[in-house]
Amino acid sequence: MAAPAGGRFGSGLMLPALRRCWAPLRRPPLLVPARGRKSRFDPPAKSKAGRVKLPPPVEPAELLVVAERYRLYRLVLHALRTEFKEEVMQKSREARLAKEYGKEAMEEHQALMAWNDAENARLRKKREERLRREEEELQDRKLQGALNHARLMEEFLKQKEQEVLQLQEEARNFITPENLDERIQECLDNPRNYNFAIDKEGRVVKRSVLS
Amino acid sequence: MVFFLFQVLVGLIMVHLARLLMKNYHGGHVAIRFALGGCANRPYFRIVAAYNKRARDGKYLEQVGCYDPLPNSHNEKIVGLNIERLKHWIGCGAHVTKPVEKLLGFSGLFPLHPMTITNAERLRKRRALEAPATSQEETPSD
Repeated sequence: MAAPAGGRFGSGLMLPALRRCWAPLRRPPLLVPARGRKSRFDPPAKSKAGRVKLPPPVEPAELLVVAERYRLYRLVLHALRTEFKEEVMQKSREARLAKEYGKEAMEEHQALMAWNDAENARLRKKREERLRREEEELQDRKLQGALNHARLMEEFLKQKEQEVLQLQEEARNFITPENLDERIQECLDNPRNYNFAIDKEGRVVKRSVLS
Repeated sequence: MVFFLFQVLVGLIMVHLARLLMKNYHGGHVAIRFALGGCANRPYFRIVAAYNKRARDGKYLEQVGCYDPLPNSHNEKIVGLNIERLKHWIGCGAHVTKPVEKLLGFSGLFPLHPMTITNAERLRKRRALEAPATSQEETPSD
């Protein structure tokens, strides 16, 4: 369990703490006791001869939860510290400027800053209005484009259908291998004469000597 | 006349020597921590901004609060905090020790400390384990 958990958290401070799960099995007993009444050269007492000091046991699930809590806690604390630092900077800056320029200049500066903020707000509102309108127009145009496209597709399909129907109509009169003999017979039986005469006035004469 | 001049001279010298008598810190930092006071079997803590290397109860820069660990007649533990000065010191880069962090977590300036929550959970679990054990002990005895 420590290896897969250590893979993601091992870079932090958790891997040493995770090792304490197996401490009772793996770590050798600590031989150097903490200082107290005795100096470092005094031998340990006989009652402490077989004493094995172990660190407190650690549950991996609880450790993960606690590590996550610490991470969030430190995040918030860092933000708070930045905030307080900013306040201190602001105060020192104001004191310095007040000392240098006097109260009227500070008030003028504050008034100008307020005016600047108001200007920024107004321009931002205008800009947002413009952007919203442009967005709406874009949506409209897109919609129109989609409708146009749909209409064109419909027309195209209709046209193609028309063509197909026309072809089907014409196919009725086609000459196929089944009709071939009949058609040839029909043509031979009904000779047709395509000759005609026309004069400059436009009078057409179909009857001729050959027919 | 001469005595007057002598006094002025001594004043000038002492002004410049006093700077040398002040302690110079190298690489230290300000810490906001508890300074223990009170009497035998009666502790009382002052929350204090002091240099890191100073003694626990020694000279501090500024007192920023107080904490009475023994509950009073209404079973309350009193804590006093000077929030404005605390913010100033933390903005100047002071470190905060764990007990002070826990107190500030309870007060609301900081978020609640993780170990406070963890210890409360552990206590709750232990009490939940103990309660059925005691009830089991009582019912066979009846």
